[in-house]
Amino acid sequence: MNFKFTWKIWILIILIILSLISIINFQSLFSQGVLVKNIELNSTEYQNGLRQGDIITSVNGKEVSNSVEYVSAMSNIFTNNTEPIKLVINTKDKQVVFFSDKIPKITISNIQKTKLKAGLDLQGGARALIKPEQEIDKGQMQDLISIISQRLNTFGISDVVIRPVSDLSGNNYMLIEIAGATPQDLENLIAEQGKFEAKIGNETVFVGGNNDITHVCRDDATCSGIKSCNQYSGGFVCEYAFDIYLSEEAAQKHADITRNLGINASNPNYLDKQIDFYVDDRPTQSLFISKNLKGQVTTQVQVSGSSQGSTRDETIKIAEAEMKTMQTILITGSLPYKLEIVKLDTISPILGQKFTYLILLTGIVGLLAVSIIIFFRYRNVKASLAILFTSFSEVVILLGIAALIKWNLDLPSIVGILVMIGTGVDQQIVILDESKSSSSTSMKEKLKGALFIVVSCFLTVVCSLLPLFWAGAGLLKGFAVTTLIGLTVGVLITRPAFADIIKSFSKE
Amino acid sequence: MSDNQEKENKQIEQKVEQKKEKKEFKEHLKNADAVYNKYYLILLLIPVILLALTLVYLTYFSYQNGDIIKKDITLTGGTSIQVHTNTDIIKLRSALENKFEDVSVREVSDIITGEQVAFIVETASSPEEVKPFLENYLSIKLNNDNSSVEFTGSALSGSFYNQLRVAILIAFILMALAVFLIFRTFAPSVAVVFAAFSDIVMTIAVIDLLGIKMSTAGIVAILMLIGYSVDTDILLTTRVVKRHEGSVNSRIWSSFKTGITMTLSALSIVIIGLIFTSSFSSIFNQIFTVLAIGLFFDIINTWAFNASFIKWYVERRNK
Repeated sequence: MNFKFTWKIWILIILIILSLISIINFQSLFSQGVLVKNIELNSTEYQNGLRQGDIITSVNGKEVSNSVEYVSAMSNIFTNNTEPIKLVINTKDKQVVFFSDKIPKITISNIQKTKLKAGLDLQGGARALIKPEQEIDKGQMQDLISIISQRLNTFGISDVVIRPVSDLSGNNYMLIEIAGATPQDLENLIAEQGKFEAKIGNETVFVGGNNDITHVCRDDATCSGIKSCNQYSGGFVCEYAFDIYLSEEAAQKHADITRNLGINASNPNYLDKQIDFYVDDRPTQSLFISKNLKGQVTTQVQVSGSSQGSTRDETIKIAEAEMKTMQTILITGSLPYKLEIVKLDTISPILGQKFTYLILLTGIVGLLAVSIIIFFRYRNVKASLAILFTSFSEVVILLGIAALIKWNLDLPSIVGILVMIGTGVDQQIVILDESKSSSSTSMKEKLKGALFIVVSCFLTVVCSLLPLFWAGAGLLKGFAVTTLIGLTVGVLITRPAFADIIKSFSKE
Repeated sequence: MSDNQEKENKQIEQKVEQKKEKKEFKEHLKNADAVYNKYYLILLLIPVILLALTLVYLTYFSYQNGDIIKKDITLTGGTSIQVHTNTDIIKLRSALENKFEDVSVREVSDIITGEQVAFIVETASSPEEVKPFLENYLSIKLNNDNSSVEFTGSALSGSFYNQLRVAILIAFILMALAVFLIFRTFAPSVAVVFAAFSDIVMTIAVIDLLGIKMSTAGIVAILMLIGYSVDTDILLTTRVVKRHEGSVNSRIWSSFKTGITMTLSALSIVIIGLIFTSSFSSIFNQIFTVLAIGLFFDIINTWAFNASFIKWYVERRNK
């Protein structure tokens, strides 16, 4: 066989190899275990050294190589017992040992063998599109984004993407995407303005945020936690409290206001006015002020609150969550703008795997069907194989680029890939037919004519997809991006190479 | 008579037969040529009449419904809840219809086993209203592990719709400009743009006829169709108008062979995608449905309308 490898074909081959290198995750190709995707910052397992990104290889001596094995190993350990159990977790590079009475609250996943990132609609998670109720500019949007990221961080959510998006009508939005498990109160966390105010009478003593509050105690049992739980009219009430430290300025203000207060007549240990806490202008808690604090410049203040629930365990959980929210608000301060959630999706990952399988099946069966059509049309195995090879290489290169630029492959992107296979094949058919035409022009001229048609078609598709980059707050950008990357790769690399392959065949 | 002679005779007979067949085929082609020359303008009329009927239907439809499409919740605002469980869809639907406005329920099933793996409820109401009802009805608590909830506010979806309409308009104008730039002749370019326009309008009419509610994904598919459908028109126009080898009919015929292979292979991928994935994802369902219908009309508009028009144009130019 006298096949001539032209430079165009070489570029194609080199790009395929580079793409494969970009797609395959060599680090984890041969390692076994499960990946820790999310871990809460103040959890026992975190304090003992387990971190996000660790690869767990065994639990109490039992090897785990995938998430199913991990879950079954854990549930075997924790069946029918209430006592804390010693857990020995081996990760790839360390050993973590701690006692726990329940399955550790971490999110795990199988190790990714590829560097491709699946979109939320396949791997599960939450997505929110948020719009400030007033017009804000790009700089203000950045401030908003940094406060929200801080809030989510305080909550121990790390696998999160927050970015500003704007649309054709010039609206500015903030797009938040959280992969994997999401907190139940996501809505409150991102959209509640969370304006904290402490008032005595009508006067504001201090507000949440860095200006007035220098430190908030949390994750430290000596100055933060559940203080008491009592039965109360059929249910339970738990009280929580934590210390905060005020700035000198805020402490001075506190002293100035309390100086003028009298002593409470019915409760002589306290002053006659209470300190009232407001979140988003709603009163949440009122505390008595000890008479010893009158006129004192004190920087350490205890903030407390209470929660109700039906069982003791449930109430403790609610109180803990409320305390955490309160702490978050005090640390991050209020959002400068009122926000509206205009779109909120929480997507369960369950069907993702099945769906991925169906998509692969579609790709494979689709290519097979196309090759059957091509074979019947041309009765030429070599040409049919060349078309299959080129289509396949287009998909590989496209995925390679997606892995390189860390593009999230969401459903619209995947439709884009499937559609691209279709257009790719179409244009190869044009090239093949032009090359086979019986006209008297030379092969070079014929292929030039074919590439003219190919480039023209490329141009019109680009024109038709360009508006998608801006329309619909960029939520449909995935489709346009994959299709355009795919077509560009096609026009610049694979189709010229395909033309050369065909030329080589015809010379034989 | 020896065996050899018999073989030779047979071979001669075969050759004569083959020659006869070839001659018949040529005659046939000549006949086909003549028939095509005689009737191609009538062929041209079919898509034009079809387009006229489509436009009448769409006018009637928008008079009845206030718009040329029925919009789903991604364009009007509302909630879509997917619950991964098995339940009687018909009972659920009637229970929901009594309580909520504008509800649709559909089943998600595994294409291989045929088993129901989930169902999807779509309604204009908010998640706060629908979720408790479903929890009550199914007596399970809905959380992140057993359900997906998608909510789009009506203001956002309204602006989505307006923007996507503008996007289609911009895309169409850009495409038309590109076509004019490529061919630099007025009439053939107009024919290409006209064929693309017919594809879109006819597709929308069929979507309406089938009672399908259009989503953002469906509109994106229309954008795709704009680019996709002109492929074959560009091929045809390039071969017939820009080149001069062979007769006009033979150039049309060769374009047809190439073009129909293109459309059929694209259609086969789209239809396979529709069969395998549409039950799982409404995004896939919409995009593939719109593309399948659009590609089908593209066959008619390219080969009945555009080809006839170009034949008429080139033959008039050559006179």
